[in-house]
Amino acid sequence: MAAIAPAHRTGGVAQAAPNRAPRRRSPALRKAFPYLLVAPALLYLMAITLYPGAFAIYQSLFVVTFKGWDWAGIDNYTRLLGDREFWAALGNTAVIGGISLVLQTVIAMTMAYFSYRDPMIKGWRIVFLMPMLFMPSAVAFIWKLGFNDGRVISDILLGLGIVSKNVDWLGSIWLARLTLIVADVWQWTPFLFIIFVAALQGQDQEIEEAARLDGASWPAIFWNISLPMMRPIIVVAITLRGIDITTMFTNVYIMTQGSPGGATETMSFFIYRQGFRMFNFGYASAASVLMLVMTVVIAQTVVKRAFHSGKK
Amino acid sequence: MASIHLQNIVKRYGAFTGVRHMSLDINDEEFLVLLGPSGCGKTTTMRMIAGLEHPTEGEVIIGTEVMNEVDARDRDVAMVFQGYALYPNMSIYENIRFPLRMRGVPASEHDKLIRRAADMVELGSYLDRKPGALSGGQRQRAALARAVVREPQVFLMDEPLSNLDAKLRASMRVQIKHLQRQLKITTVYVTHDQIEAMTLADRIVIMNQGAIQQVGTPDQIYSDPANTFVAGFIGSPPMNLIEGTAQNGKFTASGITAPCPAHLRGKVTLGIRPEDCRVGGDNVQGLVYGVEPTGDVTYLTVMAGSKQVEVKAARDYRSDIDVAIGIGFDPARLYFFGEDGERIRGAA
Repeated sequence: MAAIAPAHRTGGVAQAAPNRAPRRRSPALRKAFPYLLVAPALLYLMAITLYPGAFAIYQSLFVVTFKGWDWAGIDNYTRLLGDREFWAALGNTAVIGGISLVLQTVIAMTMAYFSYRDPMIKGWRIVFLMPMLFMPSAVAFIWKLGFNDGRVISDILLGLGIVSKNVDWLGSIWLARLTLIVADVWQWTPFLFIIFVAALQGQDQEIEEAARLDGASWPAIFWNISLPMMRPIIVVAITLRGIDITTMFTNVYIMTQGSPGGATETMSFFIYRQGFRMFNFGYASAASVLMLVMTVVIAQTVVKRAFHSGKK
Repeated sequence: MASIHLQNIVKRYGAFTGVRHMSLDINDEEFLVLLGPSGCGKTTTMRMIAGLEHPTEGEVIIGTEVMNEVDARDRDVAMVFQGYALYPNMSIYENIRFPLRMRGVPASEHDKLIRRAADMVELGSYLDRKPGALSGGQRQRAALARAVVREPQVFLMDEPLSNLDAKLRASMRVQIKHLQRQLKITTVYVTHDQIEAMTLADRIVIMNQGAIQQVGTPDQIYSDPANTFVAGFIGSPPMNLIEGTAQNGKFTASGITAPCPAHLRGKVTLGIRPEDCRVGGDNVQGLVYGVEPTGDVTYLTVMAGSKQVEVKAARDYRSDIDVAIGIGFDPARLYFFGEDGERIRGAA
C-alpha cells in the first residue's frame, strides 16, 4: 500500500512525501467512526431518558387500565386542567420550592461571603458537601424522626421555652410545609454554598485589590463587583436547584405523605399518587408531561435572559 | 501629594524573606522606578506601600503618617495593575466613577471629573463601552483614568505596560510620563524592563534578592554602577564583565589585557560597556565569533580564550567568523569590581 501513494502523483517531488503508512479505513467507516465512539453512551441515555419520555407522552393519550389501553386523545390533559388537586399540587410545589430556593440561596450566599477569604474554607469546603452525600431517604427518615415520630425538635423548642406544648407539625398547613422546607434547606444549602464559594474564590484577585485601593469596603466590593460578575453562575446554580426542587418527592413521601389535607402534596407526589395508588397511568403520564414542559420552558427562559443581558 | 519613607522594611513569608531591611526615601512629586529581575521583591515593596501586604518589620510612612496599621482603602493611594483590573461588569464610565462613589465625592461633581480624566488619557469616546470591548492599550488607559480621577497622594504602577505590544508600550510610556509631570503626583513604578526604567524615572532603585543594589538617577545607574549586578543588569547588550588578575597596574585575563589602578591586587572583575570598545587595538586579541547587524549599529562578538567580549561596532562593520581581530578599550571607561562584586573606585 505504501508504494501506491507516490505512484499516482506526477513529478519527482512526491519522493519527498513522508514515508508514513497510509490509513486503511474505508471512507464510510471513517465517517461513521466518531458516531460509533459515542454510540454506547448515546444508546444508554436514550434508553433511560428518551424512551421513557416518549413512552410517557404516548401513554398520556390513553386511559390505561389493567385490561388494556383505550384511546383518549387529549382527554387526560383537559381533565387535568380542570382538576383542583392538580392545581393545588402545582401551587404547593411553587410555594414550598420557592421558599426553599430563596432561603437556600440567601443562606448559601451569606455564608460564602463571610467565609471565602478564609484559607481554611478552601481546603475543607468538601466537608460542606456531606449532607448531599447522605442517601435522601435516610435524611428524610432522620427529619421525620426529628419532627414527627421522635419529637426531638419539639423537645428542644420546649426546653428553650420557645413553645409551651408539643408541636403537632402535621397539624397545620404551614408547619407541615415548614418541615419540608427545613429538610430541603439543610440538605441542599451546601450545594449552593460550594458553588458560590468557588465562584468568589475564583474571581480575579487584582480586581478585588483594585477595588480596595479605590476605597471600597468588603460589602461594597461584594455588592458592586462580585455579585454582578457571579450572575451567570448564580443563575445556573439556581436553575439546577430549581429543577431539582420541582421534582421533590422523597421528603414528601417519607415525612408527610402530602398531609394535612394535601397541603404538602407536590407535583411529583401527585403524579405518584395518580399512577401508583389510583392506577390512572395515562392521567399520571399527562401530568408528568405537563410538568416537564413547564420546567423546560421556565428554565430555558431564565437561563437565556440571564446570559443575554450578562453579555451586553 | 506626599513623600514616602520606607524604614528598615522586612517582609518574610514563612522561611522565605522577600524584602530584606529596605530603607528608601521617595520625594514628593518624584517618579521612582523599582527595577529588578522577577522575584527580587520590587512588587512586594510596592504592595506594602499600597497596603495590600503588611511588612513583617519596619515602617511605611506616607507624608508624615505611619501607615502600617492603615487599611489599603484609607491610604489614598491609586494603583494601576499589570492586568488592568477593570471591573468587567461596568462601563468605562462607571469604572472611572467607582473610586469617586466609594470615597463619597458629591455626585454632582462626578461627570465633570470623569470626563476630565478620560480626556487626559484620550478615552473620551469610549466611556459607554464595557472593558471587554476595548483593546489592551485602551484598557490600560482606562485603568490610568480610574487612577487619576480622584487625584490620589500616591500613584503605584505595577508593570502596567508589560501586556502591551512593543509599539504601544513606547507611546504609553510617553503618555504616563507626561501625565505624571502634569499632575505632579508622587509615583512608584515597578518594572523589569530597563528601557522603561531609564526613560521614565527621576530615580531608579535596582533591587535583587530582596535588597536594594543601587539608588540613583538613570545616568548614575548607567555610568556609575555600584556592583557587578547593576553593571550586568543595565545596558543592552549588558556590560562585559571579565574575571582576571590585577598586578602592578595591569589587568590580565586570557587574551585580554588592560591598564588598572596600581593599588589593585589579585582577583578582580573588569567591566567595559560594548560601546566603549572599538575595533582595532590591543586590549583583546581574539577571533570573530559572530556579527549581528541591526541597522543602526552592528554587534560584534569576539572570542578571547574562553571569554566572549561584546562590542558595539560601526553600522557597516562586517566580517567572517574565526578571523583574528584586536579590540581596544576606552581607558577612561573601565570599571573594576572586587571578588565580592562591589565596585573598586579610583582612577584607572
